[in-house]
Amino acid sequence: MRKMLKTFFILEKSNKRNIFTCIFVGVFVLGLVLFVKTEDLGNATKENSSEYQSLSSALIKFQNVDATENGNGSELYRNLVLQRRLVSTQNMALIMDLPEIYLNSSIELASLRADAFELDGYDDVAIYLPSKIENQFKLVFLQHVKKTGMSLSVDSLSYFPFLAYLFGVLGSVWFVFMSLYSCGIMMEDFRHTSLIKGYPVTFNKYVIAKCISSMLIVGVILLELFVCSLPLIYFNGTGNSSYPIAIFDGIVQVYPIVKYLAVAIVYMICISIFTILLSVILNVLLKNMYLTLFVELLLYIFPVLFPSMISLFPLNPFNYLNFTDVYNGQTLDLPNPVALNGMQGLIYIGLSIVIMGIAVKYFLSTGKLQKFRGVS
Amino acid sequence: MWAYFKFEFIQFISNRKNIAIYVILLFFWCYYALIIAPVYNPIEKVDESEIEARYLTRAEFLDNVVLTDGSHALTRFAAAIYPEWNDYDKARLDAIEHGKMEDYAEATAKWYAYADQMIFKSGRGVLFYNPGYYTYGNNYATMDGHYAYSYSASRFEGYAEAKSDLSINVFEERTALQTLQRLLDSYLPIILMISCILFTVDIVLKDRRNPTLVQGLPISDWRKMLVKGGVSLLGCILTIIPLSVGLLIIGSQNGFGDFALPVPIYSAGENLFTNVMMGEYLIQNMLFTIFWFLFIISLLLLVSVMMKNEFVNLLAGCVFIFAEFIYFKRGMGAFGNVQWYPTNYVQVGQVISGYRNYLYATESLTLGNGLTVMGLCTSIFLLITFLISNRRKFRLL
Repeated sequence: MRKMLKTFFILEKSNKRNIFTCIFVGVFVLGLVLFVKTEDLGNATKENSSEYQSLSSALIKFQNVDATENGNGSELYRNLVLQRRLVSTQNMALIMDLPEIYLNSSIELASLRADAFELDGYDDVAIYLPSKIENQFKLVFLQHVKKTGMSLSVDSLSYFPFLAYLFGVLGSVWFVFMSLYSCGIMMEDFRHTSLIKGYPVTFNKYVIAKCISSMLIVGVILLELFVCSLPLIYFNGTGNSSYPIAIFDGIVQVYPIVKYLAVAIVYMICISIFTILLSVILNVLLKNMYLTLFVELLLYIFPVLFPSMISLFPLNPFNYLNFTDVYNGQTLDLPNPVALNGMQGLIYIGLSIVIMGIAVKYFLSTGKLQKFRGVS
Repeated sequence: MWAYFKFEFIQFISNRKNIAIYVILLFFWCYYALIIAPVYNPIEKVDESEIEARYLTRAEFLDNVVLTDGSHALTRFAAAIYPEWNDYDKARLDAIEHGKMEDYAEATAKWYAYADQMIFKSGRGVLFYNPGYYTYGNNYATMDGHYAYSYSASRFEGYAEAKSDLSINVFEERTALQTLQRLLDSYLPIILMISCILFTVDIVLKDRRNPTLVQGLPISDWRKMLVKGGVSLLGCILTIIPLSVGLLIIGSQNGFGDFALPVPIYSAGENLFTNVMMGEYLIQNMLFTIFWFLFIISLLLLVSVMMKNEFVNLLAGCVFIFAEFIYFKRGMGAFGNVQWYPTNYVQVGQVISGYRNYLYATESLTLGNGLTVMGLCTSIFLLITFLISNRRKFRLL
């Protein structure tokens, strides 16, 4: 087995696919660093101005009337006017550098918005305001910041917040990336059958060795993510590694960035193993790397195209492969909302990995490698 | 050479990967035609109740307003601009009531032109475009509205000239040809280009499986590659078949539209928009898309002979298609020569309709420039491929 692994390392090391994947990932991360830098992502002043504009547009729908307690405006109108006033307060607090006022007005704004969802006629202005779940995230996050007394970040993203952002972006596309990377995992060997016919191992061991060597490359890629983000330390500093992030796992709550990163990495590793095993099975069944890729991608977008399938097949691991959406509670905004729990998702993906492992062991390995001699 | 073409084409068409691509495209277009297209909800609708509500409110204001020296400036402004505006709204309402499509188109064209003039030039911060543009987080809502109103004004002017049958579906751009036009403006070009990449990605390297068979053919490597490029171009053009199935489904539901329908083209001049015919627009798009196919095919042939790895082919193609998302920023055309980057032309429909120019704030992303740049790049790729394939040490596989 060790010799097998050693052989694979030598092969993988010089494989153009791996080299180019690493270069591609590096360029992508550096590009994202520059994007964050030029777009000034996370800068509160900028986000504030767009909030103000959205509220103003929402208020166009109403006649301008007295917005005080005993005025004749509707309750929603009063609520929106008050929201706009609070956004102005936030802006003032930012300019004058008064973090406490900024925090308090933000909390007040979020709770006002939470009230607004119950008011009459909200549907008309819904497109100008964040969705219910987004607002809930914000409220929980701000309350946590207030409770712990840490300072609210109002500058553009520094190293740790950027990592959280990066893993969020990657979370949606990691499966796609992995299926692109692994769709031909067996094909290259199948093409030189005379070579692998000579391996003195069973099919199981061959697959395991293949998976381990691929997973090592995945490990290198994950490491690369951290390394390539380092320039941001120079631009914007390290940032606070225990800064909270609001996420949804059954309930809305906050995770420190480090914990979020840990969960994301566990998820990414599980998804990687899942994809590699799936690719192995499909490679053997379909004997074509592109068909493998298409089948994987179709399975992935199926819950997106037909959202009602999610509640119909709750055990389907493909519901959870976009873990960013799962942790952002995106499925709660669907016409028929489903609460997907990230931890359960991990269990389902783990179960599928076990099932696929068994399938590889008992169904694909009857006979030895020679069985796949005829594959082209 | 012709025999080799047939040989390659039969391989191409019986390749299971290529069949799968056609099937998936067919599935997507059917999904689009049956599920996405029927719920298309344009912002500029033919909405009688919306027009009526606006008309009545303003008519009431005009009936009751008394202008004195003490009147607020905005009251005077409103009293000055609403009468003409309301005339157009009245004409639109009457036309809907009597079912006169041409009158509706004429009044609506004037309405959009007048509304845009009032909102964009005189009424900043007081008057607003249709609230559909001001969504949460959109900082460019006014610019979007300005574009859409001028676009609609030009479009309805074209309808009023009445070269084609008019209906509500035509006004709301729901007919098959107009759906195609909207798709060309959004993600259709990207789908076509990805299909092109997937068709071309293994066309050279598939021969590695049976090298002895192919090496015996009495034809030079360079010519082989030309033939392979031709086959894959033909394959890309055949993607029209699944697309037309989707369009047939849409057409049977909402009507087909016709080739004389106007398509407004943006240019930063005195008149923001000029109309061209739908047929002309589609032909231009087809031409440009074929240039893109040639670009991608020649790029992938080059990468194939240089790197000899399918995965690298795939990455190289995708980088060119998705690069624009990384650096694109609205209005960046004012700061550099954007016309020299082939990646700026990915959105074929938007380049031809001028919307890319509007987003980049430039005038240089035109069809002519695009064809020049794409043609130049294609020639360079082919030239390098030619030089490489003529080296004495070169081996195709």
